[in-house]
Amino acid sequence: MDRRDILAANPVEQRRGYMPGVSVDPGRLLFTAGMTGRQPDGSIIPGGMAAQTQRTMERLQAILQHAGAHFSQVIKQLLYITDMEAHAASGRAVRAAFFGAARPASTALGVRRLADPAMLIEIELVVDLPDSPAGRPLLEKYNVENHGLDFAQGVIVNGGRLIYLAGQVANNPDGTVAGVGDWRRQAEKVYENIGHVLQAAGATPAHAVKETTWVRDIPSWRQHGPDVRRAFYQGDYPASTLVEIAGLAQPEFLVEIEVIAAVAR
Amino acid sequence: MSYTTITPADAKPVANYKMATRMEGGRLLYIAGQVARDIEGNVLGVGDIRVQARQVFENLRQVLQAAGGDLADLLKITTYITRLEDFPAVAEMRRSFFPGELPASTLIVVQSLAQPELLIEVEGMAAIG
Repeated sequence: MDRRDILAANPVEQRRGYMPGVSVDPGRLLFTAGMTGRQPDGSIIPGGMAAQTQRTMERLQAILQHAGAHFSQVIKQLLYITDMEAHAASGRAVRAAFFGAARPASTALGVRRLADPAMLIEIELVVDLPDSPAGRPLLEKYNVENHGLDFAQGVIVNGGRLIYLAGQVANNPDGTVAGVGDWRRQAEKVYENIGHVLQAAGATPAHAVKETTWVRDIPSWRQHGPDVRRAFYQGDYPASTLVEIAGLAQPEFLVEIEVIAAVAR
Repeated sequence: MSYTTITPADAKPVANYKMATRMEGGRLLYIAGQVARDIEGNVLGVGDIRVQARQVFENLRQVLQAAGGDLADLLKITTYITRLEDFPAVAEMRRSFFPGELPASTLIVVQSLAQPELLIEVEGMAAIG
């Protein structure tokens, strides 16, 4: 807990509700899954952007509370939004009420669709937690709801060394693309590559903290990706976010997955 | 340098970036997505990806320097663009800011950024000190 808000020479962001940068001494960090306006029965709360944002923030608040944290300790927020105008009109103010005077570093992206086509917004957070990591397990993966899905809603890293992977795509070591037009083969190759990178960094799939899956088409991913993912994590899931986007670095790539992991110091 | 570059034998990057970085010490800096806005909030280089890309990487460097670091301290960057056809120009501009190897990197083509005029946004994390 030694947060510094970083303002650049031209602090245009100061008036926009976020900081250009936030640095911390990374003793204990919480990574949340991307959260949405989902209700306990699995449906998306009615009422549009304002209602979805409110529900999303309340669910994030529960995840933070479980870790003894508050929105003032958020260092980064990532917003995935399917309707940018609606967010500016009615989502932003809802979020601001939760943050009060606190200013995290922030990124807002307009994406094509989220896990459920009714979702208008998804938010994930990185949070600086109080207290010493001493005597705690490296990772604490937890849920605050019985969602029954294959991810943890929060993952706490206690004093580990963070590993940031480049976004992994289905490329072979010789630079060619594996499984052109083949979702399953690309999923296999991407997780194979993630496995190689984690191993080289001294980690295993169980050390994954946060996963972001960027796909060209969510229904196709749903058909072919989850089996491969399940075999990779074997029940020990990170916090995760699934987003459909307009494109990746090469037109052949159907999926790109980035992972943050942590190993003991 | 407060991080180790991870170079797996069995998986290679598709361009000149690091496959992963492992933070070994220092302070962890999270940088907001940087866009080509001036101090008044006006978008610079409307319709011009080169002008926007240069401004974005300048902004990124400014934030790093304000935190006591520089571009070499970046663990990872994510580059969001709105048109895949802009990627070659972005890659060229990026190379001028990262003469060696890029940090761990992800490139995503999104539907839009916070304002319709914005063509590129770059965010990153760094290990400072």
